[in-house]
Amino acid sequence: MRNRRTFLTPAILSLVLLQMLSFPAWAGDQEFHQLVERISAYYQKRPMRSIGWLNFLANRFTPHGVSHFQMVIFDDIDTSDTPPGEEFESGLERIVGPSYQPFVRVHDVRSGDWTYIYTRESGKARFEMLIVTIDSSEAVVMKMQLTPDALREWLDDPVKKGRDSREEARQAEVN
Amino acid sequence: MNVTYKKISTKTSLTLFAVALLSTFSLPALGQNPRLDIKNLEALAKKASEVVDVNLDAPLLKLATKFMTDEDDREGLEVIKNLKGVYVKSFTFDKPGDYSPADVEAIRSQLQGPAWSRIVSAQSKHEGENTEIYLMTGADGGKVLGMAIIDVEPTELTVVNIVGPIDIDKLSQLEGKMGIPRLGEEDKESSQKPAGHHEKP
Repeated sequence: MRNRRTFLTPAILSLVLLQMLSFPAWAGDQEFHQLVERISAYYQKRPMRSIGWLNFLANRFTPHGVSHFQMVIFDDIDTSDTPPGEEFESGLERIVGPSYQPFVRVHDVRSGDWTYIYTRESGKARFEMLIVTIDSSEAVVMKMQLTPDALREWLDDPVKKGRDSREEARQAEVN
Repeated sequence: MNVTYKKISTKTSLTLFAVALLSTFSLPALGQNPRLDIKNLEALAKKASEVVDVNLDAPLLKLATKFMTDEDDREGLEVIKNLKGVYVKSFTFDKPGDYSPADVEAIRSQLQGPAWSRIVSAQSKHEGENTEIYLMTGADGGKVLGMAIIDVEPTELTVVNIVGPIDIDKLSQLEGKMGIPRLGEEDKESSQKPAGHHEKP
């Protein structure tokens, strides 16, 4: 009996861990799920399913004041019909929904990357931030919760924080 | 019946005309808008290596003020709470000379109207930096309705547009925040004019 329990406990733990690692990034948030579905429909492409472990790790090593981090990556998308830019932005705002306020937009002219950052209030003393980075073939969508102190850092230097977010999204694509 | 209808119609038209005329006179600063068109500076964007836009509309500013509860935030809160928006556009260039003074004129040309006045022009000859501050005042010349800051550096150009009533004595509360550059650094050879002295660009 004891041997059986010794065997079962690690097995169950492994299963739980595997479940967490392979879970789609957006599974826990219905609204984020719907947003991903809308982007998916827009690009006629499903997001990569193998980045659950990235979200798992990210939620344990997020910077101070950041929580509930979720991310999806759309690989090999075709942006030729609606390349990211000014016109694309209004379409993206419809997808994102009116509750999010456009906050920062970063355009890396050389690489053609566009990063759109939206924010909104989320319950008591919390903010949500949505970051969408798109280049000619990939899109990264990140959502996170911020404490007021973390939002204050954004307000103190939105230009620098916007640039940093673009870099983080680019790193996520590389990884 | 037709005559009555015509009388009412004429009266209504006259009233509407009067209202329209009054609205024209009461428009801020002789019909000019304190919100600059900084989103479409395409000529500059094409020359830049990176362009960053910051958009702090009234709802976002309101959101920010809800959590400015520290004692240190009190004066900043006083400045922000009446603002309608803060908009920043920052261009980064690979090397000096990638943009010309003529490119900056695209921005300055929007500040040529009678309601806009340049109140500060600070230059640093050694570092090639130049900061200009413009104010938009109401028709009576008193109330500040908006502000524009043009910060020119060899490889960076930042345009800030603050929309809404601002107490310029408290502007320092916003320096280094919300994408607004730090102003009045000691190493700059400042040609600042007193706040009351309005200089045309």
